[in-house]
Amino acid sequence: MSDLVLIIPELVLAGTALALILSARRIQRTPVAAIGTVLAAIAAAVISGLLLSRGSKIGFGGMIALDGYSQFFKVLIGATLAVVALLSVNSFGEERAMRVEYHILLLLASTGMMLAVSAHDLLPLYLSLELMTLCSQILVGIRVESPASNEAGVKYFLLGSFASALLIYGISLTYGITGTTDFAGIASAVSQHSAANNLLLVIAIGLVAAGLAFKIAAVPLHTWAPDAYQGASTPIAAFLASGSKAVGLAVFGRVCLAAYGSQAHTLSVILETLAGLSIVVGSIVALSQTDMKRLLAYSSIAHAGYALLGLIGGAPAGASATMTYAFFYTFMTLGAFGVVAALGKRGEQLEGYRGLAAQRPGTAMLMLLFLVSLTGIPPTAGFTAKFGVILSVVRAGHIPLAVLAVACSVVSAFFYMRVVVLMYMNGPEEPEPSGLPAPVFAGLAVAALVTVIGGIAPGSLAPWAVSP
Amino acid sequence: MTEYLGIAVSFLVAAGIAALMVFLGSTLGKKNPTPEKLKPFECGEVPFSLPIGRLAIKFYLTAILFILFDVELVFLYPWAVVYRALGPSGLIEMVVFLGVLMVGFIYVWDNGGLKWQ
Repeated sequence: MSDLVLIIPELVLAGTALALILSARRIQRTPVAAIGTVLAAIAAAVISGLLLSRGSKIGFGGMIALDGYSQFFKVLIGATLAVVALLSVNSFGEERAMRVEYHILLLLASTGMMLAVSAHDLLPLYLSLELMTLCSQILVGIRVESPASNEAGVKYFLLGSFASALLIYGISLTYGITGTTDFAGIASAVSQHSAANNLLLVIAIGLVAAGLAFKIAAVPLHTWAPDAYQGASTPIAAFLASGSKAVGLAVFGRVCLAAYGSQAHTLSVILETLAGLSIVVGSIVALSQTDMKRLLAYSSIAHAGYALLGLIGGAPAGASATMTYAFFYTFMTLGAFGVVAALGKRGEQLEGYRGLAAQRPGTAMLMLLFLVSLTGIPPTAGFTAKFGVILSVVRAGHIPLAVLAVACSVVSAFFYMRVVVLMYMNGPEEPEPSGLPAPVFAGLAVAALVTVIGGIAPGSLAPWAVSP
Repeated sequence: MTEYLGIAVSFLVAAGIAALMVFLGSTLGKKNPTPEKLKPFECGEVPFSLPIGRLAIKFYLTAILFILFDVELVFLYPWAVVYRALGPSGLIEMVVFLGVLMVGFIYVWDNGGLKWQ
């Protein structure tokens, strides 16, 4: 029973979801679900932070870990859930909007995310990732009256099932080789193998990596992301691009360091390929996008590549650079998608940003901040994050990859700054965008605050970003 | 191997009876073929049709509800086998599990999923 302490944040989220399910019909037209979700998310984040003081622990027969790594990401997931729930207030205009179900699925997806970052065994890891992915897939397709949303949901579901199959195949091969699914057991069994004479182990690691690469939308398993983001409602796209991706990175980091750490060469080749391809493809394909959500989707693909740079080499300092990257990236992406959501229909097309600064200077200013941060220009959090991962890849001795990352950063400036040019160098356009509702403003304010603080106090996150 | 002999024998007996019935039916039976009778038999459904027909969405809901109780049973059987070894904590955990499943059932009931309009 004492193990239950480890999962109090998850229990808070799941308990709120169950209470909402029971009362769904009676509170469908009220904001109870949204308020409950925000409160539960904040409570879960605070409790996750407080649990850190109890020190590292592993419970449930070695399946669930409580350590600095898991709690760091749990706080991030709680914050993401709260911001996404705040940004969602605009998305319930339609008659058939399933307001309560929407929040229930958000809560359950976040429960899965929190379990995934604390999983210390491949089986709970797989199950919690499935909980996250299944809920996200329904959320993508939840706008039943929109064919685009349905199509995106089905695409995400089919490709996601395929990726899950790869992951479970990798897990079963790992079990076949090592006889255990526990990370510590895998690490000790794998360290006696050398990759050169064990092709099966290389295949197992490759399959697990492929399954996880799908979750973070790294090239070549990225094709679902632009379609899913475009078809989903904007807050859900934000949830996928930030929360889902941060969790994928967290799991990737833990699996690389805690389970397969001794196979440095195999991991290094896989990570270099994923990172290099993601950065190049994401940055270049984003140049030709005219839909804002697709543009941000390709940007998020490139950012997945940057974040992976920290894991190359398997050094603890690199892993904490990836953690910092995931943290700051989450908030700047939430911010950028939040502005898109706040502008409604107009925000979905690139052309919709023409002359925004003349009409809504505050909104345009926020968008400017997030775009500058996504580009990686100081003094924003995006620069701190990018600096950390590129420094770590240089230390690992991969100079060409670092040069590539910097070059693609310059390329990415073109498409981010195109939005800025549209906003600031044009006269006002019709229709006049509406102002920010108070909850959306609150969500954007949190994102902006983190983005600014991360830029002016780059070391502020360092004490907490400790690798597993 | 001998313990599998019974299974093999029962397979042979079953196959033999089936073959005998088909053989007797086709040799002794009266034949009066009509186009309708020569169609492959498939439980009252039209065996070949383009997949553009309609199927009542109610069946989908029924299938989902079936899964709810199916999962419950799958988990209850092994639990019942080791029930005494688990002690009181096993009972509490199963009650929590069934409670969570029932929340889903109550949701369906509450939202009119059980009405067969």
